[in-house]
Amino acid sequence: MRRALSHPSFMIGVVLSAAILAVALISLVWTPYDPGQMRIIMRLKPPGADFWLGTDQFGRDVVSMLMVGTRNALMVGLVAVGLGLTAGLVLGMLAARFQGSFLDEALMRSLDFVFAFPAVLTAILILTFMGPGLANAMIAIGIFNIPVFARQARGAALQVMAQDYVRAARLAGCGTFSILRRHVLPNIAGLMIVQASTQFALAILAEAGLSYLGIGTQPPNPSWGRMLNDAQTFLSRAPLLAIFPGAAIALSVLAFNLLGDGLRDLLDPRLKER
Amino acid sequence: MVRFLIKRLAAMGLTLFFAALVVFGVLEVLPGDPAATMLGLSATPDTIAALRLELGLDAPPLARFWGWVVGFFSGNLGISYTYRVAVGGLIAERMAVTLPLALMALALAASLGIALGALAAAKANTRIDALVMGLAQLGLAIPNFWFGILFVLLFSITLGWFPSGGFPGWREGLFPAIQALVLPAFALALPQSAVLARITRSSMLETLSEDYIRTARAKGLTRGQTLRRHALRNALVPVLTMLGLQFSYLVAGTIIVENVFALPGLGRLLVQAIGGHDLILIKSLVLFFVAAAVITNALVDIAYGFADPRLRVART
Repeated sequence: MRRALSHPSFMIGVVLSAAILAVALISLVWTPYDPGQMRIIMRLKPPGADFWLGTDQFGRDVVSMLMVGTRNALMVGLVAVGLGLTAGLVLGMLAARFQGSFLDEALMRSLDFVFAFPAVLTAILILTFMGPGLANAMIAIGIFNIPVFARQARGAALQVMAQDYVRAARLAGCGTFSILRRHVLPNIAGLMIVQASTQFALAILAEAGLSYLGIGTQPPNPSWGRMLNDAQTFLSRAPLLAIFPGAAIALSVLAFNLLGDGLRDLLDPRLKER
Repeated sequence: MVRFLIKRLAAMGLTLFFAALVVFGVLEVLPGDPAATMLGLSATPDTIAALRLELGLDAPPLARFWGWVVGFFSGNLGISYTYRVAVGGLIAERMAVTLPLALMALALAASLGIALGALAAAKANTRIDALVMGLAQLGLAIPNFWFGILFVLLFSITLGWFPSGGFPGWREGLFPAIQALVLPAFALALPQSAVLARITRSSMLETLSEDYIRTARAKGLTRGQTLRRHALRNALVPVLTMLGLQFSYLVAGTIIVENVFALPGLGRLLVQAIGGHDLILIKSLVLFFVAAAVITNALVDIAYGFADPRLRVART
C-alpha cells in the first residue's frame, strides 16, 4: 500500500480513472441537458454560462454529449475486455493444461490466425457483416482481444504448472479443473488484470476509431469518435468542438495505461528497476 | 535454412488461404444474398436477379471462391459495383497514395522512436528520461485521427503551411504530392514512435547491464562510443522486430487517417466501399490489407532467420 501511494504515475492513473468512472456514473442520473436535444438557434455556441463547453452543429450541449460518451466508451471497454478476458482465460488455460496435444495446437494456431488480421480490419470486417452499432462494436473489439489474453494466459499457466506445489497437488489427487481453479487461476490473475487495463485503453481507442469512421456507436447515441468526425466539418468555425472529445479520449486512454503500467510495477517488483 | 524458408512460406500461404476463405465466407456466403445487400431495401426482385446474373452469383459458392482467388493472383478481380471500373486497376491506382504514405510514416516513426528511446536510456532516471517517457505516454494515448485533426487545425487552418486534405496526384510534381502527405504521415507515425521509444529504451537499458558493455568501457571507450557502437546496435534487434510488425499496423492505420485528410488511398476506398455496400470491392480490399500484414510478418521472420540461425528453429 505504501509502495502504491509513492508510485506517482500509478496514483495519477488511479485518480484519473476514478474521475472518469465517476463522470460515467453521474451521466446515468444527471447531465446538464438532454444530450440528444437539438436547438437549431443555439447551434455552434462557444463555451459560456449556459452551455459550459458550447454546443455542436445541431445546438446539442457538448458537456452532456461528452458525459454520455464517457459512459459509452467505458461500456465498450468493459464488455469487449470482459469478453476477451473470459474467453481468452478459458482457452489459454485449457491449451496450457493439454499442452502439446492436438487441442493445444488447434487452439493456438486458430488464435494466431485471428492475430494475423490487423485489429482495425477485423473489427471493420465484423461490423460490415453484422451491421454498424454499439453492441456489435463491443463484440468486434472483444473478438480481437481473445488471442491477446489467451496467449498470455497459456504462457503464464504453463509457468505455474511447472511449479512443485502444482505437482504436489496433482500427487495429492487434485483433478485438472480444481488445479486450474485453485492454483493456476489465482497465480495468473495479477498478470491478467495488468493486461486487462492496457486492453481497456486500446478498446477505448478502437471504439473511437470505429465511431469516427461511422461504423461504431450510431447517432443519436453520442460517441467521442463520432463527435470528432462531426467537428471536422466545422473546424475553422468552431475548433473547440474538435478539442474536447479528443482530449476526453486521450485522457481516458492515458488513465488506463498509467493504471496498467503502475499495477505491473507493483505486482512485479523485479521489473521496477528498469 | 532452405527448410526454414519453405516451412515459413508454406505457413504464410496457408494463413493467406484461410484468410481468403474467412473473408469470402463472412462477406458473400453468410449474410444471405449479396445482390440484395448491395441494392438496399428499395430493390425489386427483377433488379436483384439482374445483379445476381451480372455478378455471377448463381454459380456455386466454391466455384465463385476459386474464381476470386485465381483472379487475385492474375489481377482480374471483377468490376466494382459503385465505381464501374476494374477492381484491380482501382487498387493499383489507390496504392500510389497509401504505400508512400505508409513508408513515410514508417521512416518517421523509426527515426523519432529510436532516437528518443536511445536518448531516454542514455539519460536514464534523469529529467530528460522522465520528459521523453511522459511524451511517449501521451503519444500512446492520442489516437492518430485526433493528431490528424489537431495538425490540420494548427498547420493548415492557422498557419497555412500544409493543405488540410486531398491529394494533387503525383503528376502535379513531387513537391505538392509530398506536401499533402506530410501531415497524415506524422499523424500515423507519432503513436507508433511512442511504442518504439518505449521498446528502444527498455531494450537499451537491458543491453547496458551486459558484461560486454563493462568490457568496452574497461578497455577505454568513452560512454558515448559504448552507447553508439555496442549498446544501441544490440538493443535494436527487438526494435526491428517491432518495426516489421508496425508496418502492417501502419497500413491498417491508413484506413482511418486517409479519411481525416480525404486522401484517395486504399483506406478511404475501403470506407467508401463499405458505405456503398460494394461487396466486390470490399472483399478484395480486405484481403489485400490482410495479405500486406501476413506477408510483412513472414518477411520479418525470414529476415531474422538469415540474421540469427537460432531463430530458424524457434520460430517455426
